Amino acid sequence: MNIFTRINALLCQSRVLLEHTSVLTRVFSGPKVLNRHDSTNLASRPLIHRTSVYHILSKRCFSDVDAGRRNSTTSSDVLPAESQKPESDFNDNRHLSQRPAQTFTLDVLVSMLRQENAEEICVIKIPEHIKYAQYLIVVSGISPRHLRAMALYAVKVHKFLKEDHHFHVKIEGKAAEDWLCIDFGNMVVHFMLPETRDVYELEKLWTLRSYDEQLRRMPDEKLPEDFIFDLGDDKL
Amino acid sequence: MAMHLFSKSLLGLIVENSCLMQQKTFSLSAVAAAIQKMTRVRVVDNSTLGSTGYRRPPRVIHVYTKNGIGKVGDKVLLAIKGQKKAALIVGHKMPGKPMTPRFDSNNVVLLEENGNPTGTRIKVPLPTHLRKLEGDYSKVLAIANSFV
Repeated sequence: MNIFTRINALLCQSRVLLEHTSVLTRVFSGPKVLNRHDSTNLASRPLIHRTSVYHILSKRCFSDVDAGRRNSTTSSDVLPAESQKPESDFNDNRHLSQRPAQTFTLDVLVSMLRQENAEEICVIKIPEHIKYAQYLIVVSGISPRHLRAMALYAVKVHKFLKEDHHFHVKIEGKAAEDWLCIDFGNMVVHFMLPETRDVYELEKLWTLRSYDEQLRRMPDEKLPEDFIFDLGDDKL
Repeated sequence: MAMHLFSKSLLGLIVENSCLMQQKTFSLSAVAAAIQKMTRVRVVDNSTLGSTGYRRPPRVIHVYTKNGIGKVGDKVLLAIKGQKKAALIVGHKMPGKPMTPRFDSNNVVLLEENGNPTGTRIKVPLPTHLRKLEGDYSKVLAIANSFV
């Protein structure tokens, strides 16, 4: 039962740390946890990129985003000051100097969610053998309107920061008011209300995988009474 | 369990059950075209509606596509226990594209009206190409245990 105690300890720690972002990895890849924390730590990255992102993200409306960007890029030495056009130039033929200094990574997304006052951000690294995505992020919100606003803002930031090879992103679950979902290719974000989160318990499933208690509570499948073992249909 | 030989034809086959099964005769047709009206499906999530025993297996009563054929990723309307329920097809017996899995049963996941899955876990493996299809499948993929 060593694995269970360690997983439980990890979960307890992460519950405590859920205010600030925590990354749950498999127990086997223990050393990676520290790296993750370091990379999400604000102070370790060069400050220029951080401030540029925050200047972008602190403004709310679209025109203000660009105003903020122009202001911030004057401060950075990578991009020239005045030669930028406003938001009409948003396709691939942007000049290299006009491209944003960041790509849309996990750090950008998490810092954006923190800024949006998202509660209980939980980032889970999906193991390699599950060919789904790399990271699963579960986020709670205060109200359905809050969730919707966060989702729309995430899409907006993604559109702004995406590269040519990234696809456009769709918000799934717009008909539901308590669970929205965005699939960013290598990351999947779930925006849920706390009640919905307790019902589905996605973090438990994706960290514990087959040891999850809801899966264990499911009764084993039994063959129905009128089952017929049919051999002949396979034409393979 | 003693296996009886049964003859197959294109129209159907009558089955003679062993003494353990009830004396019910029904016909099975060959796999015609994935999932359509009146197909019996298997509910694979842990919702109470799908798991508790039923006298009659859940049947599809409507397929929400242009033609009435449902493949993986299509929504259908089921009749379960005297009520109508929307569901999503996650696997069928009919062979699909090359390099996509084919399942031994027609699997279906129950959905609510707002698109949320009714159950909370899915034990049965789900196909990974569901992610690339057009539609809202991330929620169903999020509660899945294994992928194929």
